[in-house]
Amino acid sequence: MTDFEEPLSDEEKVRIAANFVTHAPPGEFNEVFNDVRLLLNNDNLLREGAAHAFAQYNMDQFTPVKLDGSEESVLITEHGDLGQGRFFDPRKRVSFRFDHLRKEASDPQPYEGETALRSWRDACDEALSAYVKEHYPTGVCTVYGKTVDGQQTIIACIEGHQFQPKNFWNGRCRSEWKFTISQSSAQVVGVLKIQVHYYEDGNVQLVSHKEVEESIVVTNETQTAKEFVKIIENAENDYQTAISENYQTMSDTTFKALRRQLPVTRTKIDWNKILSYKIAASCFIIFSFMLVQWAITSFNTPSGFRHTGLCPPSS
Amino acid sequence: VRVIVRVCACDCVRVIVCVPSLCEDLLSSVDQPLKIARDKVVGKDYLLCDYNRDGDSYRCSTEYRDLYFEGGVSSVYLWDLDHGFAGVILIKKAGDGSKKIKGCWDSIHVVEVQVRAGAPLPVQTGINNVNCFYLPNLGNMDMENKIRSTLNEIYFGKTKDIVNGLRSVQMLADKSKQEALKNDLMQVLSQRSKQQS
Repeated sequence: MTDFEEPLSDEEKVRIAANFVTHAPPGEFNEVFNDVRLLLNNDNLLREGAAHAFAQYNMDQFTPVKLDGSEESVLITEHGDLGQGRFFDPRKRVSFRFDHLRKEASDPQPYEGETALRSWRDACDEALSAYVKEHYPTGVCTVYGKTVDGQQTIIACIEGHQFQPKNFWNGRCRSEWKFTISQSSAQVVGVLKIQVHYYEDGNVQLVSHKEVEESIVVTNETQTAKEFVKIIENAENDYQTAISENYQTMSDTTFKALRRQLPVTRTKIDWNKILSYKIAASCFIIFSFMLVQWAITSFNTPSGFRHTGLCPPSS
Repeated sequence: VRVIVRVCACDCVRVIVCVPSLCEDLLSSVDQPLKIARDKVVGKDYLLCDYNRDGDSYRCSTEYRDLYFEGGVSSVYLWDLDHGFAGVILIKKAGDGSKKIKGCWDSIHVVEVQVRAGAPLPVQTGINNVNCFYLPNLGNMDMENKIRSTLNEIYFGKTKDIVNGLRSVQMLADKSKQEALKNDLMQVLSQRSKQQS
């Protein structure tokens, strides 16, 4: 146990607090934030020093938000970041202010975006929205048409989440797909992410990601959008299928390699048989004259014993 | 899960440096992954935990460990109580890393053995015999099996279900048509069985 003699500077403390917040599982930002707030015990420091972390978290998570009066959501992402706490919705062509703690949008203003890419953006958005409706029960997508590093690029973001804290679980999947339209042949680059947290009487997280690259032929807006979405659909189907298969493999092989359900002999150990192998004849006779009553308590969680005060002799 | 285990150890340290007064409480309620150390004298690995500060340690029955874990590292630490003894049995097994999957199983079993007053104690001809005497009861630790089954069926099964609830490989429209067809079929079948009976 190292000694933490020197107190940490405020700067270092708030950096640690920010780090905890950015790693909150989906749907648990508020819980982590509140805990961190208690630990740090300095609201001003937290607000000023960790504001960037709150924004980073929402952008990483593709947090969906509804603008007033709209039935559809838009995603908060780095591609829509205008600075000064403002983001834009490329479908509705508005910019808005976003409160990262309350997760609310306000002050909408018209925002045109890059008009040269509009037709491509709109075609991809239409095709992708139909795809998301077909495969994601609670999915949202946002498509940008932007010039990035001098290349005219289409960026598609998809997000779907289920938060059920009352049942002790939360889950979110995100994917981001890009390709450039400057040339007739391009590479579609995709990143798919899944994170699930189940914590009923335990704590298990699935954190998974996959990178994908496929080539695409760029012709006209409608045709290219169709091809783009086809690539996305195939890759995301393959990914989801692979995850299910991994679970099976993990259950059949690796998990078993860590701890078998039954010994190799396929029968539970007969402890009395093992006992008899170890005991010499003379000891056996002595035991047969014994009357010993004992109570054995074993605890079902590793930390259970700590609550009963059972302690080793102090060193 | 491996990533999360690694992060957890660092997180404990991070919380402690922020709020040193929580040190005791935190370390006593959060289990860290077991660390392996090497006994150079005997040339064997052993496991570190809160309990081996005093130095008395005995090797666990390797029969149990090998039959269930086919290898791994185990350590047992026992200490006297007023009316019996207590102990902790540690087992650590790392996966072999084949098939590109890595994993690690840590077991911490804590037991307390009370010997009631007035009963004669087993003759202690050597420490091995005392261990052997109590072994049948210590060994029937069904809890590990239960936890393992729970992990496999509930925890992993549940997270898989959640993933498949976030996205559907099958088109949702097709899925709901299938559901409707299944419901219709069930209704027809139950009506038929009512008519027949």
